[in-house]
Amino acid sequence: MSLKDKISSMNMSEIVEMCIDQEQQAIDLYTMAMDQAKDDAARQKFQELVDMETVHKVSLKSFEIERYIDLPPADLKVTDYLMEPTMNDNLTTQEILIVAAKREDKTAKMYQDLADHFSADKKLNTFFQMMADEELRHKHDLESEYEQEFLPEG
Amino acid sequence: MDRQKPESFNPIPVKERLTIPRQNMPEQDPNIRNGNFLEVNLGLTEDQAVIEAQRCIECKKPTCIEGCPVSIQIPDFIQLICKQDFLAAANKIKEDSSLPAVCGRVCPQESQCEAVCVVGKRFESVAIGRLERFVADYAMQHGNGDGSQSNRPEPTGHKIAIVGSGPAGLAAASDLIKEGHEVTVYEALHEFGGVLVYGIPEFRLPKAILRKEVANLENRGVKFIKNFIIGRSMTLQELFEEEGFDAVFLGLGAGLPRFMNIPGENLNGVYSANEFLTRSNLMRGYDFPEWDTPLYRAKHAIIVGGGNTAMDAVRTAKRLGAEEASIVYRRSEEEMPARNEEIHHAKEEGVAFMNLVNPIEFIGDENGSVVAAKCLRMELGEPDASGRRRPVPIEGSEFIMEVDMVVIAVGNGSNPLIAQTTPEIETNKWGNIVADEDGQTSMEGVFAGGDIVTGGATVILAMGAGRKAATAINQYLKTKVGSVA
Repeated sequence: MSLKDKISSMNMSEIVEMCIDQEQQAIDLYTMAMDQAKDDAARQKFQELVDMETVHKVSLKSFEIERYIDLPPADLKVTDYLMEPTMNDNLTTQEILIVAAKREDKTAKMYQDLADHFSADKKLNTFFQMMADEELRHKHDLESEYEQEFLPEG
Repeated sequence: MDRQKPESFNPIPVKERLTIPRQNMPEQDPNIRNGNFLEVNLGLTEDQAVIEAQRCIECKKPTCIEGCPVSIQIPDFIQLICKQDFLAAANKIKEDSSLPAVCGRVCPQESQCEAVCVVGKRFESVAIGRLERFVADYAMQHGNGDGSQSNRPEPTGHKIAIVGSGPAGLAAASDLIKEGHEVTVYEALHEFGGVLVYGIPEFRLPKAILRKEVANLENRGVKFIKNFIIGRSMTLQELFEEEGFDAVFLGLGAGLPRFMNIPGENLNGVYSANEFLTRSNLMRGYDFPEWDTPLYRAKHAIIVGGGNTAMDAVRTAKRLGAEEASIVYRRSEEEMPARNEEIHHAKEEGVAFMNLVNPIEFIGDENGSVVAAKCLRMELGEPDASGRRRPVPIEGSEFIMEVDMVVIAVGNGSNPLIAQTTPEIETNKWGNIVADEDGQTSMEGVFAGGDIVTGGATVILAMGAGRKAATAINQYLKTKVGSVA
């Protein structure tokens, strides 16, 4: 069963639970990476990512579709053409930002695809659009940070 | 505290001063200098320096001092130039700046002291940087007694290690030796000066100037040790426990090259700006085979970035014989962080500028050497955190150009070794050492300043941090270690 078919058979609270689970997976991944990281700077960066995903997870538990504002953030595309490093215990802060931004990009695209697919269902469409925007906002913040720190002369 | 206005030695009425044109510094002809590594700017003559100094209108509230990161008493030294007492002018600068001949050449005065010069509000600002350079060079040529043995103070018995001989380390050493401490400067490379030696080319900052500054400090009693890598040759703890230092200053700089993480960056012919400039500047690759380090002579060299490092690299590539040397920059010239003078000089020397272009892949041949760059065209969007308009890729604008050398000059990171070998030293998520405004780190007796704390910045800011830390070290020695005399 495809993800779209699966979602079609779920009620709203089950869909929200699925998205919360998606956030938890990110938290677990970054927590594991933080525990394994050799470098203190890398550990600090992973902790920030864990915090970012935790905030999103918590906010999902009390979200209100009515409060959605249709103001999607700009996609800076700073990391789109960069190579994706494989996860390991020796990643630099630069590589961590690339990994995280690419992960947000993939998740944003997945939610955007779902929003487009459920365009006839206003509630579902708005919910997935909200999720896509939030992931894109994370990507925007990570890429802004990347530009500031790793492309000061670029 | 109100500052006392210096005595005026300017015979020209204020209104007439504003009619004097800013004095142009003589420089090598662009078509000659792009084939040699001799200094581009030749310095003001004595007559020019006096005329330029006479352009100063002696403001009641001299904003130029506020514009200088180390608060050089600019109006005072300018009046001493008017008086034609150039050695006194040099000494006045040295009260606040340890390396005036260096700062007179590489400081971005146009965005510091000269940017706030009152004359500059309606006319061209007084050429403070050129005047600083003039008096510093004059003092070097005529000997201002700076390194005399008789100037040595009573020894305090305190031992201080300075790790890193860049601008922060040299400034700290200069202030600490004045106090009578025993000061030893450790350097990882085989020449002293840090980024001033490996990063800045001879045509912008001749090495002889730095060697004189180092010799000056040696004459004043500073001990210099090269080929010493903190964390490898000796740990920080060992400096205290085995060498008996009372305090350590870390001025390690930001010498870790950053890459873009795009495909093909490992191909032969793709350099970091650090490696390329170190080969040329420190290892004198431009003098191969007289010197041992070879450097590739490119047909088309592209340098990725828009800062001063990129300008240094592209002008070096041109001088090494590249048929074409181009800056590839993803924003427009308006957003370039490089000094206007460097951009202007690069253009005069025949450097091409490909703005609003960003490489996304380097393509190699069967031998693993770079032969082309795949690039995207960009357009400018909204301003980013730095205030510069942000480049946005134009979909479908990819193009390929032939290149046989690439230099990546997008920025540098901090040296990671100290964080790896000294867990007591707190670092931030970028690997920079965390220090308070006096340079105190999380480890007792250890101070830090310059690029290792702030990330890549200017020479004068690093010097300022070195001087602040020196003051804090003096205080620390008095209160924590106590007098041993």
